[in-house]
Amino acid sequence: MGEEKTFYQEYEVFSKRTTSSVLQHQFSLLAPNEEMAFIMAQENFMRREPVADIWIVNRKHLRKMSNEEKMTLGRLENKDYRTTKGYGYLKKKWRMYEQEVLDEKEILSWGGEKNERQSK
Amino acid sequence: MSVSQNDLTLENREAITSLLFQLADDDFMYAYRGSEWLGLAPHIEADIASSSISQDSMGHAAMFYTLLEDLGAGNANDLAHSRKAIDRRNCILTERVNGEGYYMETPHYDWAYAVVRSYLYTQAKKVKIDSLCGSSYKPLAEAAVKVRIELYYHRLHWEIWFKQLMSSTDIAKNKMNAALKLVMNDFGDVFSYGNQKLAIEMTKLIGTEEEMKANWTASIEPVFTTLQLELPKIPDSPEKNGRMGEHTKDLDEALTTLSEVYLLDPVAIW
Amino acid sequence: MTGSNTISDENQLANFMQRIEAGEKIEADDWMPEDYRQTLIKLISMHGMSEIMGALPEKEWVPKAPSLYRKLGIMAKVQDEMGHGQLLLRVTEDLLEPYGKNRGDLMQDLFNGDLKFHNVFHMETKSWADAGIIGWLVDGAAIITQTNMLKASYGPYARALQRICAEEVFHAQHGESIIMALTEGTDQQKAMIQESLNRWWEALLMFFGPASKETTGSSKQDLTIRYKIRTKTNEEFRQLFFDKYIPRILSLGLTIPDPTMHFDKENQMWSYKQPDWNEFKKIIKNQGPRSEARLNLRRQSYEYNSWVRDALSHSVR
Repeated sequence: MGEEKTFYQEYEVFSKRTTSSVLQHQFSLLAPNEEMAFIMAQENFMRREPVADIWIVNRKHLRKMSNEEKMTLGRLENKDYRTTKGYGYLKKKWRMYEQEVLDEKEILSWGGEKNERQSK
Repeated sequence: MSVSQNDLTLENREAITSLLFQLADDDFMYAYRGSEWLGLAPHIEADIASSSISQDSMGHAAMFYTLLEDLGAGNANDLAHSRKAIDRRNCILTERVNGEGYYMETPHYDWAYAVVRSYLYTQAKKVKIDSLCGSSYKPLAEAAVKVRIELYYHRLHWEIWFKQLMSSTDIAKNKMNAALKLVMNDFGDVFSYGNQKLAIEMTKLIGTEEEMKANWTASIEPVFTTLQLELPKIPDSPEKNGRMGEHTKDLDEALTTLSEVYLLDPVAIW
Repeated sequence: MTGSNTISDENQLANFMQRIEAGEKIEADDWMPEDYRQTLIKLISMHGMSEIMGALPEKEWVPKAPSLYRKLGIMAKVQDEMGHGQLLLRVTEDLLEPYGKNRGDLMQDLFNGDLKFHNVFHMETKSWADAGIIGWLVDGAAIITQTNMLKASYGPYARALQRICAEEVFHAQHGESIIMALTEGTDQQKAMIQESLNRWWEALLMFFGPASKETTGSSKQDLTIRYKIRTKTNEEFRQLFFDKYIPRILSLGLTIPDPTMHFDKENQMWSYKQPDWNEFKKIIKNQGPRSEARLNLRRQSYEYNSWVRDALSHSVR
């Protein structure tokens, strides 16, 4: 397939709402080149919401899955050993030792807050 | 020294009012011409993007008219809709039609003219707004700081269009160069402060006309050099000076349209 | 693409129907029956072009809008209509990919009359009140049909509609704000809005299309319901529109320009005078009051600035 010269190049547009947000797919637009795609992206898809960053990619640089390839995504639900679900009994065990289990909620709460030790 | 609205002398007030009319009328007419393009741009995505710039500019005009209202010059909507051409202070460039034909029929609007006018007008506005951020009139300085936030996008948007069309096909280059000539013919009053020039410059409401011209030329020089284009020259004495209330018939026609509904009943609430 | 009757195709179809019955979304690259693709292309391209063409009657009032705030509001609204057109045409263009057609081909289809735009946008606008009626009632009617398809089986369409409907809420309120200023205003303003409602009434009834295909000889409603693109019939839409808007219209002191209009308690239906469906047939053949003028405007502006697209096609990098 030769490089066709067309005004109608397809660009996928991604954006971040705030500097701490994850990148989110918005929509696609037609533009003749990257610079044009950039100056049209925000006003086409984010006229009312805040935007902290925009990424664009020409569709011809995207590798997508075929229907056959999507079959490779299937898996069985027998993988409790990978998750905390497979270790649920620990909660009871720790109680026997008069300790609380360090679960996800507890562990993820450790980042930051200066006074967390005192507050315990 | 900066002043707020309360401690103005009479001469000061006249200079500020005059400058505000120039700024307000410029953006009002520029946004109006932009709004005539709605739905007719050469590409749907581009239509949407440039519409935001017209909206922003109308928003800036509204801010300047409100500053005038605060000074007791009249109600902002009245100032925008019911002043006669002779009282308008916008530069000639902003009142020019987009091309032949009335917008309600099948007008021939020229995208090259839209791009060149917008690019060079926005650069001029940027130079003025940068200077106004340090204006001695505090409410105006505060407004300028806000306007500047949106100008980053406007400038980038039109610069990319300008660069790309100026460096593409021969047809495009010819159209762009023809538009550049038209736009520059009208550039003589863009940096004029009209008959309040002395007071406006003396009281440091904004930099001098000469400073603005020099800054503008410096701001477009890199782009023109890259494109191997001759740097455009601002005409010395404009045929008509919009800052003095001298206008073309394009403005008369525009005023008839933009005030058509408003003038059905100027005291009614619309 | 044209379903050769192989066993694998039958499997595909069964699998496809199973997926949409289960509420799964179909995506652009997924296998889909040919008539599903065709139905979507027809529906969404017409929806998209209607937005693009619908920007034209409203933009007539942008420069004339009677205050700075109104000028800003209606500019934003027309911009949104173009934005909706952009979303919908992108969805259509992806569906057209197997046929090698693009945006330019869609524009040509519009110009030569193969691609139609919604009947309501063939009408003339005559006063500022029309800007209010379009925002409030035309967009109100559009909200009724569009929200019905928010759960459409075709994912890209459903996602575009999600964006569109969110903005339609602003449009409706923009329209309401114009309407209320007029109904609460001077006698001249009140007369202006009533006259506008009278003029738009038939067009609003026609908005949802004929109740059954017997009326005009064609209707796509059966297929779109089978494929879970929409769930309600044209008449159900119209009745829902009456439910929502008749009480509101009356509450503002406006008169419905149909003296026979009433709610039939026995059938739980609004009874109304049918619009002239012959006029409808003419309009959908591009023979409405402003069909030619608007198509001309769209065609000329597209062709007059075609040099821009040519110029930048060469700069593809």
